[in-house]
Amino acid sequence: MQRATPSREPRFAVSITLSLLLHATLVAALYWWQQFLPQMGPVQTTYYVDVVNLPVADPRSGSPVQAENSADVAPPPSPEPPAMAAPQPQSRPVARQPATNTESSAAFQQRMAKLQGVADAKRQAQRLEELRSKVAAAGRSGMPRGTGSEAGSDYTAYLHSRLKDAFRETISYNTKAPFVAMRLTIDGNGKLLRTRLEKSSNDKVFELSVRRAISLAEPSFTPPPGRSQYEGVFVFRPEGVAQQ
Amino acid sequence: MGFELFFTGTGLVVKGVLLLLILFSVVSWGIIMFKMYQIHKAFSDSGRFMDFFWKTKRFDSIAAQTERFASSPLVALFNEGYSELKQLMETGESKQEQGGALSTDLGGIANVSRALRRATNLEVTRLEKYTTFLATTGSTSPFIGLFGTVWGIMVAFIGIGKTGSASLAVVAPGIAEALIATAIGLVAAIPAVMAYNHFQHKIRVLVKEMDSFSTEFLNIVQRNIAGK
Repeated sequence: MQRATPSREPRFAVSITLSLLLHATLVAALYWWQQFLPQMGPVQTTYYVDVVNLPVADPRSGSPVQAENSADVAPPPSPEPPAMAAPQPQSRPVARQPATNTESSAAFQQRMAKLQGVADAKRQAQRLEELRSKVAAAGRSGMPRGTGSEAGSDYTAYLHSRLKDAFRETISYNTKAPFVAMRLTIDGNGKLLRTRLEKSSNDKVFELSVRRAISLAEPSFTPPPGRSQYEGVFVFRPEGVAQQ
Repeated sequence: MGFELFFTGTGLVVKGVLLLLILFSVVSWGIIMFKMYQIHKAFSDSGRFMDFFWKTKRFDSIAAQTERFASSPLVALFNEGYSELKQLMETGESKQEQGGALSTDLGGIANVSRALRRATNLEVTRLEKYTTFLATTGSTSPFIGLFGTVWGIMVAFIGIGKTGSASLAVVAPGIAEALIATAIGLVAAIPAVMAYNHFQHKIRVLVKEMDSFSTEFLNIVQRNIAGK
């Protein structure tokens, strides 16, 4: 028997289309709403400040802040006082002094001790000056006559810290105790010239992670001391990076 | 992490799970809207039809107006019963002309009763159409989502194992991406279960109404026609 019902129902396809529109609206609303949420971005970039080796042009000439605000700050330290002049020896002939006088003998002993102390101080000051000039010749920042545009006194430690931080981001390995010894050559401008694999445990994943760490750390390399080419070997292990 | 990264940042399996769950959600919401309209119309047309039925004395007058209440399942019952009754009457008249007995006796009433029962079954089937998908979505979506999460966390941990770093910054994004599968599974399942229970209740009420109408229809038939 024929029934007269089907045409009275709403079309199912219309409902599905409406549902699709509803979902699309929901997704668009969520996408719009997330703009107002705080960014849950990846790990924020860490900036390092090397407080030990702050770059300064010349510590003796004062910092740029001091130069601009010279009225507000204390004046730079006065130059070193001149070394104490050695006392002139007595022109009086010893023979003229009474040899038998015990009081004058004691004074003589005292004077001699004083002269010896002055001579020692003079010798120490001279030695100190020699050392200072020797260090200044090396041209390290933070030290007298440093250029201020170079890395700190321990460039290897500086590289080590940068490599260690970068390696923390990229480390991955497949074998149990992998290691890689990598020789880095850095030119006078702080640019990585070449990397050479010295030793490896043949863990390709680990080697790749080391190379990625070096690439990641490369932009943070500063020129080596004295703008001379630097070459050093670093040993990478899962525990971290070591200097060789 | 952007909203879009919840999808683009996941693996192939989790992507498949998310797509399946979104499909489930789209279809189940389509069914929900379709059924809401269908059942609401069935209730309103049934109420109006019952008023019209009790006010009108003649079956042929009612039969001429049934198109106005097309969404009511009671109209389908009436049409079935009335057409069966009409056939019985025609057969009875022809037999009477030939000198036979009236056919609208108790055996004829049983025929009408069977026709009404068949119409009730057809209407219940029509009303329950697609609701099984809601039940399936409600019961399976959380498990599908959970599967996506378990898979995503497994992949995330494998990645962490290779990286060698277990910091929160490394662990958290992978787990967050994996958990989105469970979240979408629940989003798909909760409305489906609620709607399924609601529709089942409404369909039960309509079935009771159909049973009552069948009884009333048979009573009227037996009182006014078979009693002649």
